[in-house]
Amino acid sequence: MITERRLDTVDMHINVGPQHPATHGVFRMVLRVDGERIVDCVPYIGYLHRGFEKLAENEEFQEVIIHLDRTDYIAQFNNEFCYLMAVEKLLGVKPPERAEYARIILAELNRIVSHLMFYGAFGGDAGAITPFLYAFRERERLQRLFESVSGARLMHFYFRAGGLKEDLPEGFLEEVRRILPVLKQGIDECDTLLTENEVFLSRTVGIGAISAQEAIDYGCTGPILRACGVREDVRRSDPYSLYPTLDFDVPVGKKGDTFDRYLVRVQEMRESIRIVEQCLDRIPEGPFRTPIPRYPHYRVDPGEVYVHTENPRGDYGIYLISRGGVQPFRVKLRSPCFCNLMALPAMLRDAYVADAVMVLGSLDIVLGEVDR
Amino acid sequence: MPASLDATLRLVVLTAFIFNTVLVLVYVERKVLGHIQQRLGPMRTGFHGVLQTPADAIKLLVKEDLTPTTADRWVFRLAPFLVFVPVFMMFITLPFTRELAVRHLDLGIFYLVSFSSLHIVGMIMAGWGSDNKYALLGGVRAAAQLISYELPLAFAILGVVLLAKTLNLQEVVELQATAPFLVLQPLGFLIFLISSLAELSRTPFDIPMAESEVVGGPMIEYSGMRWAMFFLAEYANLFVTSAVAAVVYLGGWLWPFLPPADLAGGWAAHLVGLAWFMAKTFALILAIIWLRGTLPRLRIDQLMGFAWKLLIPFSFLNLFITAAAAVYGGFLLLLGWVATGGFAYAIYAVSRRRP
Amino acid sequence: MIGVLKGLVQTWKTHWRKPVTVQYPDERLPLQPRYMGFPGLIWDQAIGEPFCTGCQVCMRYCPTQCMYVTMQDNPKQAAGESKRRKIVETFTIDISRCISCAICVEVCNFDAIEMTHAHERAGYYPDVVPDLPQLLKMSEDFRAQRGQKPARETRDVL
Ligand code: SF4
Ligand code: SF4
Repeated sequence: MITERRLDTVDMHINVGPQHPATHGVFRMVLRVDGERIVDCVPYIGYLHRGFEKLAENEEFQEVIIHLDRTDYIAQFNNEFCYLMAVEKLLGVKPPERAEYARIILAELNRIVSHLMFYGAFGGDAGAITPFLYAFRERERLQRLFESVSGARLMHFYFRAGGLKEDLPEGFLEEVRRILPVLKQGIDECDTLLTENEVFLSRTVGIGAISAQEAIDYGCTGPILRACGVREDVRRSDPYSLYPTLDFDVPVGKKGDTFDRYLVRVQEMRESIRIVEQCLDRIPEGPFRTPIPRYPHYRVDPGEVYVHTENPRGDYGIYLISRGGVQPFRVKLRSPCFCNLMALPAMLRDAYVADAVMVLGSLDIVLGEVDR
Repeated sequence: MPASLDATLRLVVLTAFIFNTVLVLVYVERKVLGHIQQRLGPMRTGFHGVLQTPADAIKLLVKEDLTPTTADRWVFRLAPFLVFVPVFMMFITLPFTRELAVRHLDLGIFYLVSFSSLHIVGMIMAGWGSDNKYALLGGVRAAAQLISYELPLAFAILGVVLLAKTLNLQEVVELQATAPFLVLQPLGFLIFLISSLAELSRTPFDIPMAESEVVGGPMIEYSGMRWAMFFLAEYANLFVTSAVAAVVYLGGWLWPFLPPADLAGGWAAHLVGLAWFMAKTFALILAIIWLRGTLPRLRIDQLMGFAWKLLIPFSFLNLFITAAAAVYGGFLLLLGWVATGGFAYAIYAVSRRRP
Repeated sequence: MIGVLKGLVQTWKTHWRKPVTVQYPDERLPLQPRYMGFPGLIWDQAIGEPFCTGCQVCMRYCPTQCMYVTMQDNPKQAAGESKRRKIVETFTIDISRCISCAICVEVCNFDAIEMTHAHERAGYYPDVVPDLPQLLKMSEDFRAQRGQKPARETRDVL
């Protein structure tokens, strides 16, 4: 009689991070692997915790903005946008139309910047070195635009309650108009390099897939959820600012795997360009800020408000409580990355070690926002 | 000249040649990759950065040589040498031109194939000796990958051996006076190229060293001199593998320009032959660098599947066709081209299949 | 395989393009007019003293608490040359902690501080903590250079 005899093996624990090139920051996950197969994955967060929410309680409404820049430090304009909509709601002011359009233009350009960053890092995770440089070449064009607008390349601090810090610089709109076609071509080039590449496809298609229901259960939003085929976009489902008047599509995927997440983002870049083009045609002349009494040390009436926007990474929400006065009583951040990240162990079911890197990359986490 | 002095001289020249080639290769790779990414690459040290690689080499030499406390000391320390020495040995029989080689071995191809698989041992030792899980994973990956691709590599070359009826690299080149073996062995050439990419652990098969997964794999704990050894071995291997491909499939120093028989011993013929040899080798190296600048990397299971399900059956087919041609007549070699088409289609079909 | 070939063509084409690298210390991209470097203090040309009154508003609002300001009675006011009763005595900014947020500029009631283009200020303590004369000089240099091109400006690569 032949009895099956199995080789005695022990699962190995591999510590990935907090200093690992694939973790995009200081994220740590402990993988339990059986050979190259992942048995279990435990994510650890908190290495970049700076106590943003507590800091915000000791600053004026105006100053909190600079901390917002530092939460999701790749999509600063989008964060500022969300927070200021909350403040404006409490203040009861409406920004002038020019400011609204300027905000949308900048936020959408920032979305492109963020997705380009994702593209480059994801290519790097897959082992290709060129996509990163391609993405940064394109990103640099936009960064210089941002510099001309806000004076800073990264931490812009440009949106203000009631509008903008100062008017858009002269020639800015023309410059955007000039850059958009170049950008489109750049995105196409990025597209050629990876999207159809069979080696890349074999690394991404079918990897880390979760079902739409699972994604909803985990609270995933943004490209992660849309990749599962759910047409959910705050710009459409709970429209804010002037988005209802703009014409754009919400790209969705089918299978919810790594590749769909990638593809959704690439398509979103194109949609963002479309939005910016429309805004450029419509942006009027006029004031850039609604005057607020005692600006910049304005007082905000007591009240609480929750505002959420569509950030590049998903549904970014701010819960703001004011007890009157110049400082917020509480600022709570609903961070999309944090929720998306929680789905990681589910996505890594039965994956290879190499897939862990790809799946983590496809979540496009920004640790500044996860840990706050 | 006494034999020992002669041998020493040859080895010294060879060593100098390897070091210089590696420096040039690293520089070329940096520059080409830079331009592929619309960058400049090294520019500061010397004219257009030509001194950058020597500077880096010196930096590596003077860096502290660390050994992790928990490492298996001797295994850890010995590993880089065991990676480098086999590669160095492969250079010995490489025919640069008709006369220019350290040794003309009658069993040249056999010698090459056997040494090309030896550096696996060093890799495994590095992976095990470092007492680091990334290194271990990388070492095991290297073992699996290099052993799997050793087979198609050897079988591909066996096709040429069947045609040439010799294992002497010199004679293999002489036989290519009219047409390189590429024409007769297209499938073999393709398989050889692909499997040598894997042997070299270069993109898209750089799985043992995967920077974003196992952070350098077996080399993760190495620093200074020993790390430089790995580096040296990697680039020397790149050169020697491309050179073997150039010699075996592209006619080495001979084709397409044939030095007239009376020039056979002259300097001019030597130089032209050497130029041809170098041109072919560098063309292959540039192609490999180009691939590195374009492709992501595969996953270990896909890599193994590719070797065992595609490369090995097709290398058998190639061997079979060649054997039939050797027995029943050369016209059967035309089948090789058909098989190449089949091979290309198979890769195409596999790459289109999605889970 | 088709996709791989397309990618190869793409990298081949890119290879022949002009590189976008800027050789930084030799070449510099022009700074945008609005660029925010480190703050400097403005000199009141008409009277010959800083605008800053040392009121410490900026110091209170600075999110990184990197400024230190003290105030003194203005001797020029006693002499009847200036209308400012108080004037800045010492003013230091630890620019190794400054995050160039321009909050100090925004809250200053006297428009006495501005964001200059100075940004290459890496160094050791105390070089990274400019005092009042240095801050005034930063602003003066900035004003002198405004509208001028830097010495070796590069081509616009992007
Ligand atoms: S720019 Fe910001 S951080 Fe710097 S001194 Fe002014 S307020 Fe402080
Ligand atoms: S710079 Fe302005 S805010 Fe700061 S102390 Fe001087 S006058 Fe006051």
